[in-house]
Amino acid sequence: MKELRILYLYPDILDLYGDIGNIKVITYRLEKRGFKAVVDTYSINDDKPDFESYDLIFAGGGADNEQQILSQDLIKYKEDIKKAVDKGVFFLLICGAYQLFGKYYKGVDGEIIPGLEIFDYYTEANPDRSKRCIGNIIIETNLDGEKVKVIGFENHCGQTYDIKSTFGQVLFGNGNKFNDSSEGYMTDNVIATYLHGPLLSKNPELTDFIIKKCLKRKYNEDVELEKLDDNFENLCRNQLFERFLENK
Amino acid sequence: MKNFFVILFIKGVSFFLKIFGKNGGNLPGKLAFKLNPNILKCFKIDCPVIAVTGTNGKTMTNNCIVRILEDDNKRVISNLEGNNMETGIVSTLIKKCSLTGKIKADYLVLETDESYVPIVYKDLKLDCLVVLNFFRDQLDRSGEVESLILKINEFLKTYDKNLILNSDDPNVSRLAMANPENKNIYYYSVDRYKFATDELREAGEGKFCPFCNTRLKYKYYQYAHVGKFICDKCNYGGNEIYNLLENVDLENRSFEIDGTTYTTKFNSIYSTYNFAAATTVCKLYNTDLISMKNTLENFVLNNGRLEKMVINNNDTIINIAKNPTGANVSLRLVNEDNEHKEILFVLNDNIADGKDVSWIWDINFDVLNNVDRIITSGTRAFDLAIRIKTSNYPVEKIEAYTDIYEAIEHLYEKNTKKYVITNYTATQDTRHKLMRFKEKCGDK
Repeated sequence: MKELRILYLYPDILDLYGDIGNIKVITYRLEKRGFKAVVDTYSINDDKPDFESYDLIFAGGGADNEQQILSQDLIKYKEDIKKAVDKGVFFLLICGAYQLFGKYYKGVDGEIIPGLEIFDYYTEANPDRSKRCIGNIIIETNLDGEKVKVIGFENHCGQTYDIKSTFGQVLFGNGNKFNDSSEGYMTDNVIATYLHGPLLSKNPELTDFIIKKCLKRKYNEDVELEKLDDNFENLCRNQLFERFLENK
Repeated sequence: MKNFFVILFIKGVSFFLKIFGKNGGNLPGKLAFKLNPNILKCFKIDCPVIAVTGTNGKTMTNNCIVRILEDDNKRVISNLEGNNMETGIVSTLIKKCSLTGKIKADYLVLETDESYVPIVYKDLKLDCLVVLNFFRDQLDRSGEVESLILKINEFLKTYDKNLILNSDDPNVSRLAMANPENKNIYYYSVDRYKFATDELREAGEGKFCPFCNTRLKYKYYQYAHVGKFICDKCNYGGNEIYNLLENVDLENRSFEIDGTTYTTKFNSIYSTYNFAAATTVCKLYNTDLISMKNTLENFVLNNGRLEKMVINNNDTIINIAKNPTGANVSLRLVNEDNEHKEILFVLNDNIADGKDVSWIWDINFDVLNNVDRIITSGTRAFDLAIRIKTSNYPVEKIEAYTDIYEAIEHLYEKNTKKYVITNYTATQDTRHKLMRFKEKCGDK
């Protein structure tokens, strides 16, 4: 039986906005097709994980003060994580995790939380604490040449700059900054984004894209994914596209 | 404008709203603030003011306290309809005060929104603050839980009156340290109940000690992060309990305090915590215990909070769930009931609900005991259907209808017990449509 090994970073700390749903959706879509999902977790005080041995590494968003506690822990593994990225392990990073993988995060009072410096972008908090990018968001991304709309919910005060390759173009919502045209960061094996929702819950095509990518790398073959019953997902997408794109 | 005229004018407005069948809610208070921003200072209050705050259970706890006091022959003024922001509180006070602003009562009991505690009680002299719990709730509206706690903590730094705290919520009991000089701290707690777990089962907050950042150790979890916890490093959590509920028996809806058994109409662990808070207040203010026992036996709420109806001959239980913890305790109730049943879950994403519905992924749908079908409805019916499907509940047993009335019609196609779970704005809408459907069925 084919399997994917997933490492879920700090599930008990980066646990806001239902980001855990991403793991549930991936697991669901793997198991429905007879594949196995092995989900390991890592958090503070656990043994050091073998990052390179995983097919997919996931981390979500958390509360500000808890995020500070863990950034000191995460930075111990900077080199190991960098190696895993270079080796092609797929990284899915949401919100706080997206920021932590960049150069740094500059808070409202100017304090700098150093990032892992794995990617070149950096994030600065919006000076007005009460102003956050909050709301439903729809972007258009390019998955292996196919244009796909991705829908989620953003809630961040961080404004992320210096993005070399974006995850998608904003059709509705803010993106990396207030009123930005681009959202997130994407390379061949990385998707880093502000989209909660959780991201994968309403975007089955994106989920399958990630699954396919991971399976291809692991088994060195194109794995054909069986079609699933996405009736609710399609109804949900159509309803929300109509609501946010057509009444814009 | 003179206060006299402000009060007279607002009383008039309230009266007209009533004549035209509008409940008013916050509107009179809003107007009063426009006319006099310091309106809260104008009331003459001689009786103790008791405030109830926290994420979940405010209305139930508040109304229970009021009922116990009233049954003990006290005159009580309260915002029983749950208008709990500063404007709602002012509306209530103006409606009930004399033209000179005098409040004639033995107690003023006010359900108060968490973020408004520092604002309202800067001007109203508080005699007792009851803090129930802090859970993640509408993150897109109110921000992170932590910033809310810090606001109340700041307010408490100069507060030295009665403070009643839930000892089993690490986010609440930490407030005792806000003012180390305050000797009037009263903790309540509930002993381990039958369905408590050794591991956290539902989304929770406050995993770290607020004083030394060490991970908290739990002996058990009652629900969400409420349970018996201790910090190994600084001993945070070892509180002396003023009011302890023991021998909690949900099947018989009973618990014990100081050796006396109390029976209620509620059978959930979180309503037990609300009773723990309410009885602490009454113990502190020396209410007659026999009268309290009677009150608790008869106390019910008819506002979509564990409300019971019979519709088309089917027992129906309605419960509001505004956040993951609310939904998880509703599902606990479903699971602790062995009868076969169907669920209607209504999820809206209006502004008052919070536009972000991702919290439904923090609801634990993994175990559903004898649930034959789940119908989802509301503006986000499909999001909910996806969520439930992903928990591996059979997809053919899930139906989604954005129209609430249509969902209700489908719900009563089959004769079984029904549980109706609704989020904030969905609650009244669903209740009204249930009643309309009930009438159509010819039920009395």
